[in-house]
Amino acid sequence: MIELYQIFTLATVLGAASMWLMLPRGGSGGAMRQRWLGALLGAVALGLLASRFPGIGSVVTESVFFILAGVTVVGAAAAVTFRNPLYCALWFGLSLMGSAGLLLFIGAQFLAVATVAVYAGAILVTFIFVLMLAQPEGKAAYDRTSWEALVSVATGSVIVGILSMTVSSVLTAAQRSGELQAAAAESLAQRVLAKQHTALLGAELFGRHLVAVEVAGVLLTAALIGAAVIVAQTNKREISE
Amino acid sequence: MFEIKTLLILIPAMPLIATLLTATLGKKVLREQSHWPTVAAIGLSCLMSLILVLQVSGESEPVDPDKIGYEETVTLWSWAAVEDAYDYDSPVGDAVYQGDFRIEIVLRADPLTATMLAMVTFVSLLVAIYSIGYMHDDPGYWRFFTYIPLFVFSMTMLVSVSNFVLLYVFWEAVGMCSYLLIGFWFQKPEAAAAGKKAFLVNRIGDFGFALGLFLLWTTYGTLDFHDTIVDGQVQSLGIFGQTMLSTPGAYTTGTVGTAICLLLLLGACGKSAQFPLHVWLPDAMEGPTPVSALIHAATMVTAGVYMVARCTPLFQASTDAQHVVAVVGGFTALLAALIALTQTDLKRILAYSTISQLGYMFLGLGAATALGITAGMFHLFTHAFFKALLFLGAGSVMHAMGGVIDVRQFGGLRRLMPTTHWTFLFGSLALAGVLPFAGFWSKDMVLAAVHDQAAVHPLYHWLYLAGLFTAFLTAFYTFRAFFLTFYGEERIPKAAGHHAHESPRSMTVPLMILAAGALLVGVLFGPTGGFEGFLAKTPSLAYLSAIAHETAGHATGEGSHLGVAIISTVIALAGIGLAVVLYLGSPALRDRLTRVMDAVGLYRLSHGKFFFDEIYNVLVVVPIRAVAWLCYWIDRTLVDGLVNAVGLFPMLVGAGLRPLQNGMVQFYAMAMVLGLLVLIGVLLM
Amino acid sequence: MYSEVALLQNYLVVGALLFGIGMIGFLSRRNMIVMFLAAEMMLQGVSLSLVAWSRFHNDFGGQMLVIFIIAVAACEAAIVLALVLMLFRRTGNLDVAVWGELREDNQLPFEEPQLPEPPTEPSEPWPTLTTAGVEPKLKPEQTDYRPNV
Repeated sequence: MIELYQIFTLATVLGAASMWLMLPRGGSGGAMRQRWLGALLGAVALGLLASRFPGIGSVVTESVFFILAGVTVVGAAAAVTFRNPLYCALWFGLSLMGSAGLLLFIGAQFLAVATVAVYAGAILVTFIFVLMLAQPEGKAAYDRTSWEALVSVATGSVIVGILSMTVSSVLTAAQRSGELQAAAAESLAQRVLAKQHTALLGAELFGRHLVAVEVAGVLLTAALIGAAVIVAQTNKREISE
Repeated sequence: MFEIKTLLILIPAMPLIATLLTATLGKKVLREQSHWPTVAAIGLSCLMSLILVLQVSGESEPVDPDKIGYEETVTLWSWAAVEDAYDYDSPVGDAVYQGDFRIEIVLRADPLTATMLAMVTFVSLLVAIYSIGYMHDDPGYWRFFTYIPLFVFSMTMLVSVSNFVLLYVFWEAVGMCSYLLIGFWFQKPEAAAAGKKAFLVNRIGDFGFALGLFLLWTTYGTLDFHDTIVDGQVQSLGIFGQTMLSTPGAYTTGTVGTAICLLLLLGACGKSAQFPLHVWLPDAMEGPTPVSALIHAATMVTAGVYMVARCTPLFQASTDAQHVVAVVGGFTALLAALIALTQTDLKRILAYSTISQLGYMFLGLGAATALGITAGMFHLFTHAFFKALLFLGAGSVMHAMGGVIDVRQFGGLRRLMPTTHWTFLFGSLALAGVLPFAGFWSKDMVLAAVHDQAAVHPLYHWLYLAGLFTAFLTAFYTFRAFFLTFYGEERIPKAAGHHAHESPRSMTVPLMILAAGALLVGVLFGPTGGFEGFLAKTPSLAYLSAIAHETAGHATGEGSHLGVAIISTVIALAGIGLAVVLYLGSPALRDRLTRVMDAVGLYRLSHGKFFFDEIYNVLVVVPIRAVAWLCYWIDRTLVDGLVNAVGLFPMLVGAGLRPLQNGMVQFYAMAMVLGLLVLIGVLLM
Repeated sequence: MYSEVALLQNYLVVGALLFGIGMIGFLSRRNMIVMFLAAEMMLQGVSLSLVAWSRFHNDFGGQMLVIFIIAVAACEAAIVLALVLMLFRRTGNLDVAVWGELREDNQLPFEEPQLPEPPTEPSEPWPTLTTAGVEPKLKPEQTDYRPNV
């Protein structure tokens, strides 16, 4: 237990240092070197974490998982730390791809596709569109500085550390004492991992959650109208000015 | 010809209609013609009052010999009623009356009321006619003629209601009219202050009056004057009803009886400007002169005298209260006469003279014999004529002199204003008490009544001497004012301008009528005994003769009356003679006398009005101011300080927390994350 | 086939990492669009955890929730982008610190302690061409160039 605790603390501290080094902090001299150092520290931290991951099956599946998780996390870290918001968006797209792969890996096929379609396909493209519209050159002062980088990093790291440490220790302990029983493979194959996974999901969605679906539809419509009105008003004001 | 009940209702109703008419139409429609409703209404009221007097005197022979006096009541409607409000032991017999407390609008006719009604409406009519000329170019013309009939309405109601509560209501109503009319020229600070002073001083008296009414109610269980008779059965007793009057010992004596009388007297002192509440009346002269004549000389100020006369049975039950009334009256008469000696403002002289004459009336009432009370009322009656005459004459002078009223600034006006001169002379002779003018008869009657009582109590002997001395002073200061105004070299102040001529006919005709009154009312009603005989049929006064029969041995003697008459005439003539010597004769003598008086301080004392205003200021106003300042200080520093201290706490907390609201989105997000951390921490614990 | 508990644990840790990194981004970055990206990243981390739990419990509830999260995220994106566009048109930049109007009256607006210097790398040498012929006269509508729209 103590070993786990020490390793997670070390990984958290290293990760925090790496994030702090990589975040834009206004300086110009030696920025690239610091970012490479941060990347290195981050890689070490991720390696430390990965070393404590329990095995989930064969080497192939494990390596597939690690690749997907690595793409996801590295993409996320890069999306947060890059200066140019356009790169941020592209890195975020990569991270989304990774997480879509993770979803597929876990058997949530529909969600994986939905994530790619909605996030990467729609939202991200809109982002990039707005970015291009607003800021074609992409080197503004506010992109090259951060608000209280140290405090933010410390806070975020503490949360990550606590969460992952708790999850690991609780689940490991529960697994050892045999308290925690996952659903049996047969029942999983009946339901979540069934061949007609998407059909079952759709039946669930339009059966039990029909009202929620309708509400979501209303919400989407409202958002559509709201967005249109906001932009229309802006245009009107600009014209009158 | 007319039902008495109809007359009783119509007499107050006429001025009320005039008030409403002028108030609604005066400003836009009537304008310079605003006086017509008033004059017409009061004229009709006056006519009906005279008819009422005739009716009452004709019918005043009691049909039932057991009945005491003559009275007639008319119930209009019930104003307020509380069923089974109380039960009390009747002062008469053993019956316990399950009393409903009800206030009914009841008007009454008896000789006292009829006299007052006739006097009030007659003087009001003349004053209203006079005001047409006097107020002719005033911007508030219609306002004036709204207030005057309102006052006449209130005053006629005051003297004709048959219930103490209503009496109190109209007592306040005339006070309000007085306040409105004193402050008629409210743009003038002195007038506004005078109105306020009159109002506040009257509050003291009214407070006593109200307490007196409470005590009356708890003692007698009713506030009605008359018995309420339903189907020939006495349903509830009245304080001056037949049942009470005909029952010996019905009126409470002792401490409670005295307390009731003294509280009522306090009210009367306020309204009638008796010591120690006399200070408002001289200041009330800031109002227009017709108002001074009507309200502050002839009618309203006599309400106190009327009230005490009405309450005669109550006062009969307390000898101490009688003495207090007499002493207050005598002392006020002397005090006001002394002050009047040195005043230079013509209206002020007359105001102090009014206070002094009201003192005479109270002196007569304090004698508490049938003669004394009749004398007081008779003096009220004659005084209304000659004092209204004098005030209107002063107003005529003031009108001609362009508003100047200081006797030192004008003189020798007798050629300029002949009518005013001789009418004023009549008024002065009446006030001084010279045969055969009105004042002689009534003042003589008062002095005679007091002289009679001297045999009963030595106090009255001294009061008699004071009265005589006051008569001397009265004659002197009256003629001092008269000579200063109308004799000597002719002097006219610059302010007079084109006004310096005899007043218009609308002003001189009332003067002449009043002068005739000042000459005649005394002779007509005094020696003939007409007034006395008429008034004696009032239930309250008839009660006196009823008890006089029981307590025989009442000292009366015509011989002593003649002696009193001779002495008072001599004294009045002496006063006039002194005035002639000093003000028509040598100024050197006058100066020497003034210097002597000044040396001993008497002149300053009199000229400073015995410094009552200053004394009241020190005794009452300054302590109250001090307390008020203290309260203010406590409120400002302690109370406000406490409140501010409490208020400071959230302000400090707010100042501490304010930097958190720095408008930075990420700062708020950070706050949320910290909250999340705390939540996770709590969950993991 | 898999160790289900190990799978859950791994996914939860990855979800926590995504969430934390997104939070760091949201807290520290000043570009409004990047902040919004970070917020989406946090949602992604939560979605991952929910799907993992869904599988662990053999229940579609977690996946349902993720579907709705995606729907809400789409709405959010529409609104946020409209707002960002409006704000950008007002001030001409995407700095979130510019919009501090809701602070208390007597508080000073946020100011950067030291602004970063502009990038020092030299501008790239563009190839130049010799002019040929007469310069064409521009039409008026061509001069009404709106660089930001």
